[in-house]
Amino acid sequence: MDRTDAEAPDWLEYVDHTADEGVRVRADSQAQLFERAAWGMTSLLYNPSTVEARYRDRVRVEADDREALLVRWLSEINRLHQVRHRVYCLFNVRTISETAVEGEIGGEAIDSTRHAVYGEIKAVTFHGLRVEDRDGAWSANVLFDV
Amino acid sequence: MDRNILRQTGPATWEIPVSGRMRVPARIYATEAMLDSILADNAPEQAANVATLPGIVSASFAMPDMHWGYGFPIGGVAAFDMDEGIVSPGGVGYDINCGVRLMVCGLERETVRRRIEVLMNALFRAVPSGVGEGGKIETDRKALRAIAVEGSRWSVANGFGAAADIENTEECGCMAGADPSAVSDKAWERAADQVGTLGSGNHFLEVGYVAEIYDEPVARAFGLARDAVTVSIHCGSRGFGHQICDDFLASMDRATRKYGIELPDRQLACAPVRSPEGQMYLKAMRCAVNYAFANRQAIAHLVREAMAGAMGVPVAGLRLRTVYEIAHNIAKVETHVVGGIERQLCVHRKGATRAFGPGHPLVPAAYRAVGQPVLVPGDMGRCSYVLVGTEKAMSDTFGSACHGAGRLMSRQQAIRNSQGRNLFRELAEGGVVVRARDRRTIGEEMPEAYKDVSQVVEACVAAGIARKVALLKPMGCMKG
Repeated sequence: MDRTDAEAPDWLEYVDHTADEGVRVRADSQAQLFERAAWGMTSLLYNPSTVEARYRDRVRVEADDREALLVRWLSEINRLHQVRHRVYCLFNVRTISETAVEGEIGGEAIDSTRHAVYGEIKAVTFHGLRVEDRDGAWSANVLFDV
Repeated sequence: MDRNILRQTGPATWEIPVSGRMRVPARIYATEAMLDSILADNAPEQAANVATLPGIVSASFAMPDMHWGYGFPIGGVAAFDMDEGIVSPGGVGYDINCGVRLMVCGLERETVRRRIEVLMNALFRAVPSGVGEGGKIETDRKALRAIAVEGSRWSVANGFGAAADIENTEECGCMAGADPSAVSDKAWERAADQVGTLGSGNHFLEVGYVAEIYDEPVARAFGLARDAVTVSIHCGSRGFGHQICDDFLASMDRATRKYGIELPDRQLACAPVRSPEGQMYLKAMRCAVNYAFANRQAIAHLVREAMAGAMGVPVAGLRLRTVYEIAHNIAKVETHVVGGIERQLCVHRKGATRAFGPGHPLVPAAYRAVGQPVLVPGDMGRCSYVLVGTEKAMSDTFGSACHGAGRLMSRQQAIRNSQGRNLFRELAEGGVVVRARDRRTIGEEMPEAYKDVSQVVEACVAAGIARKVALLKPMGCMKG
């Protein structure tokens, strides 16, 4: 594992990019894709398995299409991490459509004795962004500005 | 990109001719030796993509430190007509007004070298860095709105630094036209505790010295002498700027469709400069520009206090003077001569530095006769440069030059290559004391992860868009 100590599951690949970093995620549904993309993003910063879900934060975002929706979803989770100084390990999508997603994420306050947080994600980018549904086999590519 | 597509137009200048939907050529600044690694990256294609945007003037430029960005390449410069052209948040980047301040100190180099470990420890304690580290400067919403309008002036008025710092800051540390009403609540929330914080990634604080002078008269004008101790600060507008860029990428995405602009890459989302969407972005972007100026000014104050404590002298005894502070992620309305005619243009610099030549009225009075200082940090192990802008930069690149070394390796590749090495020790043996939160950051940022900044500078010099003034070498580096 190159990034954190998190063990990369078989549905997640880390993508090399000269200045930035990205993830490639596969899933069986759009909801699962969003949950896994969130896990993949956070695993670039810290090991989610070191986190306990002591708090729940609600995430609700809208966008014009499903690509932009994924960017908004991940951006909001990243924003909550930075503003509330929390790390997350649970990502549950409750309802999802092409243009809106609502879910709950579980985590706790950053505790430097238990959570090694490496750097920060400035933003979730549209660069090379791809969300595909091939007969129920969902995949997404997302790049982050770090 | 295939090398055969390129046409050499000067000693370190290459052109991708107009093809497909390109409206102007893309011009790449690089020496012959740098070309292979540049072509292996996607930056040249990205420069060509920028050349398709409406209202682009002259060419889409890529500086020699270019590398693959998102949408626009890092190292990209593009100017757009105010009536026909566009403004694009992707042409500025997420870290709005990421920039560099260079200060020069009155202490002897040997005095500082002897206490460099103490000094770096003091700086590491004084300047918050990394994630989860809030700033030490309390700011409520009213103060944040004032920062967004006043920039460095707010910092100085609140006791962080001196008026002389502002004179030697691009835009005098305060960009006009900022409008806090254009900024979202989310952005204000992210701004709340980050004034006076360094951030992470490639942001740094470096203590160094002037190792060589190339141009004595210009160096004298900048107040640089051989062996003078220097302090460099590299950071930007933090989460505030990131959120503003993010917010406007969403609205620009819609504007792109509304105005019927066809894009080769969604990250190039844009709107006509004079459209409501374009104007709103510029108003918000300027708030982040000013926030970054205020941030670096506040950090400079924290540095002065920490340095005075570590060196056992009063702050005034340091004589730590700002040489210059420049932005390298910004969009500005500037006046340039194009084809013999003076025109107002919206100039985007993303990972590129303004490099105005001698006599320009926007160069600080003390430097106007020689030109604007261009600060080019390298990696933490080798060296950095101070250059000066030229007349040729004014005519060729809208007064722009390189901003740094430019990454060569991805972060993951750098971490892999650094495994099994003790970079802290290696750098210390080379005379550079490094402080960082963790080893991984040092791995990501190791010297070999970057291009050789000397090659980048030589390309600018060969192309005539900047001249060398001084070489700086590091003694200590703090990474976020």
